Amino acid sequence: LPENEPELSSDEVRHVARLARLGITPEEVTRFRDQLRNILHAIEALNRADTSRVPATAHPLQERNVMRDDVRGPSLSVEAALRNAPSVEDGYFKVKAIQE
Amino acid sequence: MNLFARSIRELHQMLVDHEISSVELTESVLGQIDAVGRQTHAYLAVTRDLALRQARDADDRIREGARVRPLTGIPIAIKDVLCVEDVPTTAGSKILEGFVPPYSATVVERLAQEGAVFLGKTNCDEFAMGSSNENSGYRPVHNPWELDRVPGGSSGGSAAAVASGEAIAALGSDTGGSIRQPAALTGTVGMKPTYGRVSRYGLIAFASSLDQVGPITRDVADCAILLQAIAGADPRDSTSSPHPVPNYLDGLEAGVHGMRIGVPKEYFVKGMEPAVEQAVRAALEVYQRLGATIEEVSLPHSDVALPAYYIIAPAEASSNLARYDGARYGAQAGGGHNVIEEYELTRQQGFGAEVKRRIMLGTYALSSGYYDAFYLKAQKVRTLIIEDFKRAFEKVDALLGATSPTVAFAIGAKTQDPVAMYLNDIITIPANLGNVCGISVPCGLANGLPIGLQVIAPGFREDIALRVARAFESATDFNRARSPLMGVAA
Repeated sequence: LPENEPELSSDEVRHVARLARLGITPEEVTRFRDQLRNILHAIEALNRADTSRVPATAHPLQERNVMRDDVRGPSLSVEAALRNAPSVEDGYFKVKAIQE
Repeated sequence: MNLFARSIRELHQMLVDHEISSVELTESVLGQIDAVGRQTHAYLAVTRDLALRQARDADDRIREGARVRPLTGIPIAIKDVLCVEDVPTTAGSKILEGFVPPYSATVVERLAQEGAVFLGKTNCDEFAMGSSNENSGYRPVHNPWELDRVPGGSSGGSAAAVASGEAIAALGSDTGGSIRQPAALTGTVGMKPTYGRVSRYGLIAFASSLDQVGPITRDVADCAILLQAIAGADPRDSTSSPHPVPNYLDGLEAGVHGMRIGVPKEYFVKGMEPAVEQAVRAALEVYQRLGATIEEVSLPHSDVALPAYYIIAPAEASSNLARYDGARYGAQAGGGHNVIEEYELTRQQGFGAEVKRRIMLGTYALSSGYYDAFYLKAQKVRTLIIEDFKRAFEKVDALLGATSPTVAFAIGAKTQDPVAMYLNDIITIPANLGNVCGISVPCGLANGLPIGLQVIAPGFREDIALRVARAFESATDFNRARSPLMGVAA
């Protein structure tokens, strides 16, 4: 892990929250910054492991393609799929505009 | 003994002998929920009408003598991370308040086909993120052994329900110890199957390369019965394994004579309570007496499993939880000026602090400039952990250690310190990263609080884990201890 990196800053916390589409109050910025710093310190222990000769494991199972016959089967109806949506129009989820 | 305090096996026999009906049994358990549910908060929702309807159907099946299965008529609790069609499902999160799934998880369907009775949805840490149940978006669960203690987490509601007589058995999910640790802290039996052994279809995703559904029960035979019902390939989960499912009751009583059992020296971690270590050492003597060979082994990368987990699991969670945007299901904040603001407000109001922390940690670990240093590094460490287990299992048949380094701690004791909370899972996490299976069985009490013994077996050798756990259970009487809320002792 990056050594001698400056500690996680409030600006980085705000940036990460924005990437995660997570609204965050000024108090939360400070609290999460301090807590994440502690967690990242604890995670630095990873540096103890020599990983120079091993490949990464992305998934525990052997990578294999799982195929099924290309036959149409039953699936959720549009009505069932939309039942939980707060706002619906003409069989679609309805959301606000990207820009005002 | 009250019906609600009995095991699946006993109750099955009483049902098929027409000594009791499933309706009587279900009413007994519902009565216990009424009596102690306000003390444990084990359930987020009790599905009384559904349970009684299923119990009547089960009684019909038993009367006709057709299609009677080991779980027919047995009341079971379902962790709230599993979808049950038309039953509100929240994963313990406010962001899913009001969500009613349009389909059931495969494991739920399989239990329904067996004729099981669904008591309701059990409380859990929000999106299964936690080790104490204090991260529930609704209310914490209280440990039936001592009500001001945590039951463990994240499947704390399922474990508390089984320990208090509010369910005969329950389903939980385990990503880093979320079945085994609460089982240890509540004196129940809990198993994390090998990844791929049980379908994840309809399980609300936390960390997709680690999550597994598994049983929480009163004894090892019940655990085998429940695992049997849910294990096996599922065409709707491409990560479920085609590996054949053996009969888990065959060989359950075969004992451990001549078996080689390894004790990872790294599992006696710093900070382990002396009573826990003593109980585990005493368990090793029991195994020796039963004819097993005990030998010390080393899993040298155990100390980096926890930090690797706290990169991999939050990274996968940050991606999985991106779906909660308030547009398709669950709670929506309202009041945003555009769609982005709406997402941000919905997620700010809907997620609790621990979920937000993990989303941010995962987003940070995956973000540009940090991916190699954090995520890729953690995935390589995962390979080292898999290799540790492979090497150990060349020499021994199973591994033994504590499940949790401590007994149940006081509610509120660790909520201010996330790093201290994460340490609860230090001995359970390696099994998730290493793609092996593990089970926790009761191995004693410390000041009236249960201690758990963990048995770890190679991938897809749940039969070995069950057999080794059963040998200990039948040679000791720790399994007979019951929580004060359960009432009469066995």
